Amino acid sequence: MIDVSALVSAIGLLMDPFTLTLLVFGIVVGLVIGILPGLGPPIAIALALPFTFYMDAVPSMVLLLGIYSAAIYGGSISAIAVGIPGTGAAIATVLDGHNMFKSGNGGEALGFSLTGSIIGGLFSAVCLMLIAPLLADLAVKFGPREYLAISVFGLIVVVRVAGKSLSKGLLMGGLGIFLTTWGLDELNGTERYTFGSYYLYEGLPLVPFLVGLFAMSEVLIGAERATRKVDFSTESLSVKLPGFKTLLRMKDVIMRSSLIGTIIGIIPGEGAAVGAFFAYSEAKRRSKEPEKYGTGIPEGIVAPETANNATVGGALVPTLTLGVPGSPAAAVLLGALLIQGLTPGPKLFSEEPELMYAIFLGLFLINILMMFIGLVAIRFAAQLIRVPTAIIVPTVLFLSFVGIYSVSNSFFNVGVMLGAGILGYVVRKLGYSIAPLSIGFVLGPILENSLRQSLTIADGSFAEFFNTPIGIIIYVALALTILWGPLMARLRG
Amino acid sequence: MLTQRTANLIFVLFIMLACGYFAWVAEGFITSGLLASSGLPSKFFPQLLLSLTAICAVIVGVLYLHRGDAGDAGETVFENGAEARRGLLMLVVAIACYFIWREIGFLTMAILIGPASLLAMGISKPMMYFVVLMITAVVTTVFTYGLRIQLI
Repeated sequence: MIDVSALVSAIGLLMDPFTLTLLVFGIVVGLVIGILPGLGPPIAIALALPFTFYMDAVPSMVLLLGIYSAAIYGGSISAIAVGIPGTGAAIATVLDGHNMFKSGNGGEALGFSLTGSIIGGLFSAVCLMLIAPLLADLAVKFGPREYLAISVFGLIVVVRVAGKSLSKGLLMGGLGIFLTTWGLDELNGTERYTFGSYYLYEGLPLVPFLVGLFAMSEVLIGAERATRKVDFSTESLSVKLPGFKTLLRMKDVIMRSSLIGTIIGIIPGEGAAVGAFFAYSEAKRRSKEPEKYGTGIPEGIVAPETANNATVGGALVPTLTLGVPGSPAAAVLLGALLIQGLTPGPKLFSEEPELMYAIFLGLFLINILMMFIGLVAIRFAAQLIRVPTAIIVPTVLFLSFVGIYSVSNSFFNVGVMLGAGILGYVVRKLGYSIAPLSIGFVLGPILENSLRQSLTIADGSFAEFFNTPIGIIIYVALALTILWGPLMARLRG
Repeated sequence: MLTQRTANLIFVLFIMLACGYFAWVAEGFITSGLLASSGLPSKFFPQLLLSLTAICAVIVGVLYLHRGDAGDAGETVFENGAEARRGLLMLVVAIACYFIWREIGFLTMAILIGPASLLAMGISKPMMYFVVLMITAVVTTVFTYGLRIQLI
């Protein structure tokens, strides 16, 4: 049922000039950060988090969603123009996008990427509007066993897709969850790993940890390659939008990629990069001319770009309804809700209906405005690829320091950010992915509480974990997710 | 150059030692009351996670010891000496700036952070130093006067 008064109130909140300004600002900032290689959506959102501390929930979420959507799209601009993906989500776009650019069709390539991103974003916004309230209604009935199953699902899935080595991914996931056990035990007040410091009573703070993990580690890695030069021609950077007939010809690719992106986004832990690759490989597999993929064809841009932006709305489904982030960027977004004093979960829909409607409608508005901003700003924004890393590195470092300090005027938080940054840097250099670490850090408290509560309910019996229909469905889905790839490979010989 | 194999073996050794230490610390948790019927003390979950992490560390270690790699054969931690120097010097700058801010004050840190970062990265163009200092000034102004954060 649509709560009309909440919907009207949400429209009013969205149409507020300050909120609209933030929305546009968010798109521009997201676009800029997405273009800069290395700085992806999680970093973009993390850097903006401290600013949201002083805002109401609707403007802050609109700002962050604008950044999130635009940063994913922005990554395609550098992927097309210089062959360096601005974000992981744009890696699949490099193959065909850069080849089109090199053959003098850069404008068309940018047009396909923009159109695909907008369609994918709008499609997932519709899905979010339709699925999230239904899932929230269902999630109200969830108990600790169901939350345990969902958390295990999210963690295992992200570990699987996060890197070359499963054991390395699990190690990171375990480490991330372990770090959430620091502080007072929520169930009985026991001090755990506080080392006599009252700062640690509430555990390691989420936002500084995530900012450190993403932004600080990128600063250190960016410093290593600070002297590398990027140059490109701006001649074919005027966006040329594809015609209706062209889009109609690609309707199957667009629809399939939108669906793939949204579903991949909904699965906890999977991100835009996975969605983009999956959509690209599916488009290639179903094509009558698969050999043309990678040589510079529009379908090779439309498929990944539609899918990666479709993951945004998809990722928000578990984040908002269950408090389980759909991607690392959504994990940081979850931190923004916590900063606002809101607890993501099914109750958010009954307690904050205006915010929920504002998020749904805001996502629509963001995608529509992104079309116009993209058309006008691409040529100028693309120049940012030339900004030397040596300028970006100290700027991000200083912004991270000041931003984190400003959240609670605490040097402890800055210290946590620095520590998380060093940890992130070390593990990234050793070939570990930080995605399981960040998702583990977000899911840790849910996992521990649901595990212990489940055991309490079940009188200590682990078998009782499976005595729940929803839990069984989730565990079966997890088993299918794990076994699907090898099974299909075997069937195909 | 430091190979992934050597670095990862040192890392997993460190992780295993850390797991042992934290598991030992967990033994000392003073629990005010056990959970009603499950009897799960506060140390249960951290120790479970530490066991899982340690097992994974052992598997990673075994992979590097026996197979020689974990999907990164022949790779090194840093591409070359210059990259290693820049990354590690930047790390020193970040840590030093944190302590300078805490012990001396924000202004000193704000003035030093940009130039020190550029020095760490081996940048010598004066224009870069000017731009970075300008950005620092703008960010400070926004936070101090725009957001009214007491930085100075």
